[in-house]
Amino acid sequence: MKHLVRFFLLCLFSSPLLSADVDPRDLIQKAMDHWRGTSSYSDMTMTIHRPDWQRSMSMRSWTKGEKTSLVRVTAPKKDAGNGTLLKDNNMWTFAPKVNRIIKVPSSMMSQSWMGSDFSNKDISKSTDIIDQYDHSLLETREQDGHTVYVIESIPHEEAAVVWGKEVLMVRDDYVLLEQQFWDQDGILVKTMKALEIKELGGRTVASILRMGKQATPDEWTEMSVQDISFDVSHPDSLFTLSSLRNPRQ
Amino acid sequence: MTITLRMAWRNLWRHKRRTWLTVGAMVFSNLLLVFMISLQFGSYRMMIDNSLKSYTGHMQIQREGYNDEPKMRSSIDAIIPLATKVREQLGSDTVAARGVAFAMTSSEERSYGLQLVGVEPAFEPKVSTLPGLIKQGSYFTDINAAEIVIGTILARNLRVGIGDELTLLGSGHDGSFAAGIVDVVGIFGSGIAEIDRNMAQLPIGYFQNLFGMGDKGHNIVINAAELSEVTVLQHAVMGMLAGDDKLVVLDWEILQPGLKQAIQADFASAWFMYAVLIVLVAFSVLNTQLMSVLERTREFGVMMALGVKPARLGGLVITETFVMSGLGLVMGIASGLLLTGYFSQAGFTYPGMEEMADRFNLPDRMYPSISLLSTLLGPVVVFLFSLLASLYPALRLFFLQPVAAMRAV
Repeated sequence: MKHLVRFFLLCLFSSPLLSADVDPRDLIQKAMDHWRGTSSYSDMTMTIHRPDWQRSMSMRSWTKGEKTSLVRVTAPKKDAGNGTLLKDNNMWTFAPKVNRIIKVPSSMMSQSWMGSDFSNKDISKSTDIIDQYDHSLLETREQDGHTVYVIESIPHEEAAVVWGKEVLMVRDDYVLLEQQFWDQDGILVKTMKALEIKELGGRTVASILRMGKQATPDEWTEMSVQDISFDVSHPDSLFTLSSLRNPRQ
Repeated sequence: MTITLRMAWRNLWRHKRRTWLTVGAMVFSNLLLVFMISLQFGSYRMMIDNSLKSYTGHMQIQREGYNDEPKMRSSIDAIIPLATKVREQLGSDTVAARGVAFAMTSSEERSYGLQLVGVEPAFEPKVSTLPGLIKQGSYFTDINAAEIVIGTILARNLRVGIGDELTLLGSGHDGSFAAGIVDVVGIFGSGIAEIDRNMAQLPIGYFQNLFGMGDKGHNIVINAAELSEVTVLQHAVMGMLAGDDKLVVLDWEILQPGLKQAIQADFASAWFMYAVLIVLVAFSVLNTQLMSVLERTREFGVMMALGVKPARLGGLVITETFVMSGLGLVMGIASGLLLTGYFSQAGFTYPGMEEMADRFNLPDRMYPSISLLSTLLGPVVVFLFSLLASLYPALRLFFLQPVAAMRAV
């Protein structure tokens, strides 16, 4: 309720200040493009933190367009070779221990991805927000010499989305600073925050992202990007089930 | 007092037929109450036993907090030695260790998320009816075998049969990837759709290995011989675990709060019917006693004129009711016990029950459970309400004017 009131106030007082030339949908699209490029290749580390333990995994990821990507675990040795392939909203996972590829059923999409705080859906449907939501600019503010746009995105009536709304904070150089996931009762469920922003692969990007649930502040998952290159050309054969099974890179 | 009692006794038999009719109403309602309540208790016991024995058990040892939030990490160390220790100290076989995990399970064609339970093949059949409900194939016997038993609905959904392989994929205890291939050796049908659709059992040794659990597990199921012994047993097990403050022993009421609530709701609605019966009996007593007081108005007038206090007359009327209700109580309980006793040996069944019982894996006969409570509860309430009903006729006597009363018709 408090949040709601605050939003109303924000809407009331901030609307005259908004620059008329900012289209929130366009802003999100650009932020997504900025982060993914038309294609990308990156090395990253995922750290899963729990009150009594912590675990890190290194992984490599390839993306092409909005709907195609491949992620493969490279370390620790025990988990190396596990991979996920995403293609047109379908998701497959490969486990070298049993040498099997399994298609992730839609009933499992809300389950955790590789044991992290990211769900399979978070990983696979990150660009759904552009088409399946209505966007409105809540606020613009100045931060570290940048303009930050706060955008509220509410899913369409018929969209197959579990969230009631999402709030995104996008910087004027298209860096996504924060993404909040609210449920249908207007309660903040989880937040993804950019903890570090730096120049990588010729672009300013968020190099450390942390996803954490609101209810359990001492449990989170951090994605830290070591290296990323944009607009690399990947052969189509990279994003196939046989490539998921047999790494050629 | 003796004179009052003697007078009450004689007064009762001045109208034999009327007294017998009223006593008869009480006997009938008491008989019905004893039988119904015993049957109800019996069916609750059956309900509890059946639903607990299908999976949950009478009580479980868990790590504190696991029941509220079942997490992979809230585990019990060295669970099999602990289960063995409990088994030895209790001198009972009905103790079994389990591990629980969530995993994606895939056949050639399909995948489903489900709950995997690692069990001790030697002891699981003693705490749960599930291993006995294998419809195809058999239950595993080797604690380390890569074998799985699944429910009928899951088997249909996955389109697998005995001898087919399933791939399991999940997160291990240390957060690493857990993956394994198991053979389907058995398919169980519990009749409970949720269990048949969402659960599968594997041997605990293989389970621990698959999920990187080491020697850990999540709960130890303990069954008592009788439901009534659960509390005593729970304290005994608590005593054994006194050294470890991280472990708790939870009984079925905490593990399955819905069951207790369902029973309470059912009992409350049954009491509505009983209340109608009891109130009817109370009114028939009120009617009898009021009539017997009214028809004796002249007699009471004479007695008062002779110096008998109204309190004594009131006492007389209440004593009459007391004796009459006592007769109803004793004869009602006796006949109720006879009837209930017969059915508690022979079992009670009604047309169509067999089919229903077969579907839900229940015994096809209900056995009323006779206890002090189930026997006395109904009749004692009838007795008290009858006494209460006699208060009004008794109190009327205090407003009786001897002269007017003697002239009354």
